[in-house]
Formats: sequence, C-alpha cells, structure tokens
Amino acid sequence: MARIKKARRTGIKQDMTPMVDVAFLLLTFFMLTTQFRPPELTPVNLPSATAERKLPDKDIMTVTVGAKGDVYLGVDAQPTRDRIFNNYIARRLGEAGMGAAAVEDSARKFRLAEGFFIGDGSDMQRLATNLETMIIQARLAEPRLRPVIKADVSTDYQYIKLIMDIFRKTNMPTFNLITSLEALPKSQN
Amino acid sequence: MGGIAAPEPQSSRKKGKKKRKRIGFNLDMTPMVDVAFLLLTFFMLTTTFAKPNTMEVNLPSKDMTEVKVAESNVLTIRVTEGDKAYWNIGFDEPKPFELYDKSGEKPTISNAFREILKTESEKIRQRVGEDVMAIVLKFDKKAQYRNLVDVLDELNILRFRRFSIADYTEQDAEEIKKVSSIQPAQPVQP
Repeated sequence: MARIKKARRTGIKQDMTPMVDVAFLLLTFFMLTTQFRPPELTPVNLPSATAERKLPDKDIMTVTVGAKGDVYLGVDAQPTRDRIFNNYIARRLGEAGMGAAAVEDSARKFRLAEGFFIGDGSDMQRLATNLETMIIQARLAEPRLRPVIKADVSTDYQYIKLIMDIFRKTNMPTFNLITSLEALPKSQN
Repeated sequence: MGGIAAPEPQSSRKKGKKKRKRIGFNLDMTPMVDVAFLLLTFFMLTTTFAKPNTMEVNLPSKDMTEVKVAESNVLTIRVTEGDKAYWNIGFDEPKPFELYDKSGEKPTISNAFREILKTESEKIRQRVGEDVMAIVLKFDKKAQYRNLVDVLDELNILRFRRFSIADYTEQDAEEIKKVSSIQPAQPVQP
C-alpha cells in the first residue's frame, strides 16, 4: 500500500538580530546627518514653466519677492555673507549707534540667514535705493555672483520691473527666474 | 505508486517511535544584510539634491544700441491688471484678446494667443520674405509676475527669439483706456 506522504510542515526559525541592527544603523545615520531647512523668508508660490535649465550650483544671489511685494536679498555662500556684513552693514549699524556686542550678534545671525529684508511696496523709492545699494555691495563682495529672481505667481509686475531695471543698471543683464517644472503642452508643431 | 515504499530513516519500523523528528529550517541571513548595506552605501554616496528649475532671461545691456525695426514688423503685446491682454501691429489700435484659457483646473495660455503669434508672424514672413517679426512686451505695473513668466515661456516653446521687454508708459495706458472704453469685451478674431 502506498503511503501517502503528507507535506511536512517545518517551522522556520530566523534570528532577527541583523535586521534590527540594520534598522538602528539607518536610524542613527539619519539622526546624525539630517539638517533642517532654514525657515522660509516668505511663502513663495513659484510659477510653472517648461524651462528646464537648472539653477547653477554656487555663487547665486537670490532676490526673493513675496506675493505682497516684500523683497529680500540673499547670497548662498557664508563667506560672501560675512564680507557683505563686514564691508557695509557693520559700518551702517555702527553709525546707527549699535554697540559692538549687538553688531557681533547681528553678524552671526546674518551669516546663517538665507536672506534679509530690503523693503516693500510701502516705500518704493527706498526699496529701489536700498536694493541697488545691497546688490552693488554683494557684487563687490563676490564678483562672480549670478542674479536669480524667486518671486510668487501673484507678485505685482512693478517689483519685478524694478529688480530687472536694477540688474540692468548694475551690469547684470543675464539672470534666471526660478520656476517649477511644467510639462510641454501636448499639441506642438 | 508501487507497493514498495523506499525505506526511510524514520520509518515506522522502529517500535513505538511514531513522532517524526522535526528539522529546523536555518536560513543564513548574512547575504541579505550585505545587500542591504550595499544598497545603503550606494545611495548615500550617489544621491544629489533636486535643483530648482529656472528660466534664463537675457536683457540687452545698457550700452547696447537700439536696433531699428520697421514698425510694420513689430507685434506689441500689452498685459494689464486682471490678465487683460491687447495686441497690435506697428501703430495700429490695440485689440483685446484672452491671454489665458481658464477652463481647466489651472489657467494655461490660450490658443488665441498662439494663433495671433503664428498668424501675424506668417503674414510678415510672406510680406518680407524672411522671418523678421519682432515682439515687444509691455506689462502694466499691476500685471502679475505670472503673466511675464507665462508669456516668456510661450515664446520659448514657439521658438520666437526676437522679443524685448519695454516700459509700459502713460501713452500705453492712454491707448488701452481708449480701447477698453469703446469695446468693452469683444475679442477680435485675428
């Protein structure tokens, strides 16, 4: 008589130690290497465009404009920020009567800030002169700076026109507008 | 099958030993962990951050001399507050058109705009013999940044390279006011 062989069920015992080890290693790696993004200067809703040119890696001077027309200027490298602060801002703060310790403190904050407030629509004249002065100072601190405009979709055109005019005046006619990527429209000829 | 079964080591020949010995299944996990680490190391070393996309704009530098263009070869596009757009050739009267097609979830550049660009450029090409249409863009103070980006993007897609951004003067505002008071909302088919 044939013996019907029953499928043998064997228990599978696995040592889970290596898996837990990997989990902890990953956790530790990310705990040590995660850096927080610096807080946004102002909420910016980028316009979408089909342009695919990537932002250059370094030496970028960003003019950020919020939806309400608040304008900020920032550079990407800390040494450049230091130079701008020491060449110009420190002097102005000193003239305004700020003590040495307070200037030191400002210097530290300035070095880490992504950008600083220049002005807004409430005083267009002052915005124009301040922006031009700071852009010239930034260029003096780092001649290789490339200008970039990061503005919200609903910013009034007058701010953009002001920025473009200053770029042209300070001899920087080529600049980039930051956009979010959009697919090419389907019907093309 | 056959009547004779192959004798097994744990056959029930042994007296009283009914229970089969259970063999534990030991799987060596070392290769799997190795693969995990290799993948991890690979991505740690090769990941780059996504860079934001940009659109490059080249303005003429301030010491560039003006280029003379015959006015009949110039298409002027004016955009004012509220996405209102007007076009005209040379010194003709500005005609309003819809800049955006607001039917979808996101407003996109309308076909009317593309048609105007293509038709006028074609007309000029047939008249002059080569592709010389120059486009002048004028944006009102209160027009939105979005209008600038969308128009520049559209010109880039349709490969119109000869354009410039000019100031929106009092004169422009006057002309638009004249047009918008006479014809409230009648886009003229080009």
